[in-house]
Amino acid sequence: MLEQVRSQVSYLYITPQLGVGIGNSVVEVRAIDTDSDESDIIYYPSLDTLSRVLGNGFLKVLGDDEEVVALTKSDLTVDENGISYGEEHLVLTNKRILVIKDKNIVKEFKLKDVSSASLRDYLSTIILTLDIRGSAISVITLSRARKKQFEKIITLINDITFHKIPYNMLKKHLSNRVNSESEKAKSSKGILIKLFGFVKPLWYMLLITSMLSIATTTMNLLPPYLMKILIDEVLIPRSNLDKLLMIILGLLGVNLSLTILGVLRSYALLKLNQKLAFRLRARIYEHIQFLSLNFYDKFSRGAIISRIVDDVNRVLYFLTQGFSTMILDLAMIVFVGLIMFSMSPWLSYIALLPVPVSILGTAIYRKVMPKYYHRLWRKWSRVISTLSESLSAIILVKTLGKESNVIKRFKDNLNEFIDSNIEVFKNEQKFWPFIGLSFTFSNLIVWWLGGLQVLNGALTLGSLTAFVSYMWSFYRPINDLANHLRLVQQVIVAGERIFEVLSTKPESADKPGARDLTIVGGVELKNVWFTYDGIHYALKDVSFRIEPGEHVGIVGPSGSGKTTLTKLLLRLYEPQRGSVLIDGVDVRDIKSTSLKKQIAIVMQNPILFNTSIAENIAIGKEDASLEEIIAAAKAARAHDFIMKLPEAYDTEVGVYGGRLSGGERQRIAIAAALLKDPKVLILDEPTSSLDALTERDVTEAIGNLTKNRTTIIIAHRLSTLRNVDKIIVLDKGTVIEQGSHEQLIRTDGLYKRLFEAQFADFLDNRRRRVLLRG
Amino acid sequence: MSIREWVTKLRILDPEKVRVLSARMDTVDLEVNGTLYTNVKLKRPFPYTRPECLILYTNDDREIGILRDYRKLDKGSKELLERVLEIIYFMPKIKRIMSVNSRGGYYEWVVDTDKGVIKFKTWRSCARFLSNGKVIIKDINGNVYCVENIFRLNTKSQALLSIFI
Repeated sequence: MLEQVRSQVSYLYITPQLGVGIGNSVVEVRAIDTDSDESDIIYYPSLDTLSRVLGNGFLKVLGDDEEVVALTKSDLTVDENGISYGEEHLVLTNKRILVIKDKNIVKEFKLKDVSSASLRDYLSTIILTLDIRGSAISVITLSRARKKQFEKIITLINDITFHKIPYNMLKKHLSNRVNSESEKAKSSKGILIKLFGFVKPLWYMLLITSMLSIATTTMNLLPPYLMKILIDEVLIPRSNLDKLLMIILGLLGVNLSLTILGVLRSYALLKLNQKLAFRLRARIYEHIQFLSLNFYDKFSRGAIISRIVDDVNRVLYFLTQGFSTMILDLAMIVFVGLIMFSMSPWLSYIALLPVPVSILGTAIYRKVMPKYYHRLWRKWSRVISTLSESLSAIILVKTLGKESNVIKRFKDNLNEFIDSNIEVFKNEQKFWPFIGLSFTFSNLIVWWLGGLQVLNGALTLGSLTAFVSYMWSFYRPINDLANHLRLVQQVIVAGERIFEVLSTKPESADKPGARDLTIVGGVELKNVWFTYDGIHYALKDVSFRIEPGEHVGIVGPSGSGKTTLTKLLLRLYEPQRGSVLIDGVDVRDIKSTSLKKQIAIVMQNPILFNTSIAENIAIGKEDASLEEIIAAAKAARAHDFIMKLPEAYDTEVGVYGGRLSGGERQRIAIAAALLKDPKVLILDEPTSSLDALTERDVTEAIGNLTKNRTTIIIAHRLSTLRNVDKIIVLDKGTVIEQGSHEQLIRTDGLYKRLFEAQFADFLDNRRRRVLLRG
Repeated sequence: MSIREWVTKLRILDPEKVRVLSARMDTVDLEVNGTLYTNVKLKRPFPYTRPECLILYTNDDREIGILRDYRKLDKGSKELLERVLEIIYFMPKIKRIMSVNSRGGYYEWVVDTDKGVIKFKTWRSCARFLSNGKVIIKDINGNVYCVENIFRLNTKSQALLSIFI
């Protein structure tokens, strides 16, 4: 067990990532952040670790049912002499927060006394502060290098104290994280093997390309040999015309074969490359279509595209060309080396002399030069950003008359770039000329000693010429191999990034026994708890009921959990605890297709596909008749503006619907929802980004859409909710009020405050307008 | 309200009860269910995908109704409508693409159409392939040209067009 743990630990030391540990057991895992000095956080540290780090006495201070949840340390310490660099450990148990300095407990706080924890940011120091009975108590001081670690500690403290998350739930979550991290660690070990799994079905193509590569390489070894015969048996004896003709024909044959082989190899490589690219990209794309929204919360759009485009390109190059080239390079080194040694062992040893110089020089070069190149790229990007900034702000520049300033800035940037370029050149000259010269010296020595051997008759001129040719054929694969070894590192990283996506499990399929349900429209949430990250709860014990056909508004400040609620109803996520019921049936027991067919959502900023308006309206019902499309558009108050477009319903809307205005997109989305004829409709801030006139059109469209349907309207603007039957008020993930507008106004709670705040704005605006009019 | 109810609210015209009396350059006079409408405007809601469908508007832009397929009208009415439609939805049909040359940022086309050989310029992104083999090409001025069926063009024309779709 310990060995297992140690192997995990050592791995995680190499690749910095989140430190995790398993529940109550003795397993502990550490991770190092590159910007911090040693360890990150140790979750559930073992007794050994606790004794080693905090002293043997520490274990005695722990209570019977007390366990250490997390251990971390600061890098600054404050005492009567002021602030200085030094270590203080912070121990979070399930009961207490302890600060330990020099193996002594210097501060101690009971969790039950703590209301919340926070980090106070200063210029370069951060102070962890606890709110205890209304007073802010400073606990520990750290530098910015330790901020990330302490943010994790703050999250844990707040989950226990402020969010009151049951400790067992928290512990389970941490354990889950351990497992997923361990899986990740294991999965990255066989990246190359897994990557080759993609080539397996195309093995015959890989074989063909490899055979063609071998044939090309072998063929390339023939010309030096033919030259040897030409010199030794034709040119020096000045006879043997037949042989001359044969050699010329032989060289012609070799070159023709090389051309044909080159074409065939390129074609085979292209086929292999394209087939493999298709397999990899289609596999990733197919996979991500079925991943839950959690995945999209974790990965940005750019990160996904980068995996499908850049990482796949790197992997493709390696699998189709890089790997076979490496094998060929190795074969070439051995093969040509053998030929050279068979021709002249002494000359071969001399030929080997620059090899270590080249390998060492290249290694130093790779270590030293990146910083200069980074500087060069930074300077260049500064040139580009100055250029783009000044062009974007050209009106500002001209109105302020700052042309000379931007010209000066641009010239300064250019000069810095030139200086940096010269710096790169100067540093490069410390390597390549010497490496080049080492090859030249070795070449000259070979010519000198070889020439002496030719003069002595120990070696023929042809053999010497052929030897020199082979010598250069020997050096090339050595250089190539060094480059390809670097490529392998990049491919492993690219492969890891690809498998990070592929190993994410797809959205949970329907439960066995899940059924189709014809929805009437009753919606109920029963004690629903939901968290995106496993720690912060977006919804906490939420319960409410909506009758079929009822119109319900959900209000609350930003981050109160309104949108999360809609995602649960659509089953885009599943609650960790509690249940979401439609007509009394748990949504997990309803087939996902059946559910999604009967629930529709109109979002605040709807995104349309880059197809025609008609296709966008018919997205929820692909077999919609033209009458249905027109009727839906009319009901959504979209028909008139559509008919004013020259291409009417056949108009392409552009990427994300960018050729239409916000209000037009909104109405197209409403038409699509209407055509879908949902039983439950969710409107997520549908008019919040529209101007007053457009809002009126959209509100009318919404009125048509919501007739006789269960409708849930999420709104910031309370005016949107004037016709709803019931309003549910959420705050910090909890339902704090519910009832009709009149009831809530009488209650004197958050709703009333929100209402008054908006009403006050309205009054203020009116007052302002009156004042402006004079 | 369900979509079915909304559909029943549409005024779908019965081709048997529509008669076109005369045509001007861009309007027609017609009778619908015995009511006379003059200076009626014609609009295609789906000009590329369902060109047979028309929506008729009065001179002051009030909708008279929807004709699902104007080709089902009597022959005389159909011909009168087509005369107007040809003008208001002018779209030369490309029979052959003679050349397409890149001219520094845009492309110059020479094509043989049902209206004769013409030359026009487009940007790189100018063609729209519709599912029935129809291709719509828009030039830099917004004029529209149509290839009825790409697969019926000669090989050279197909090859030239394939660059853009």
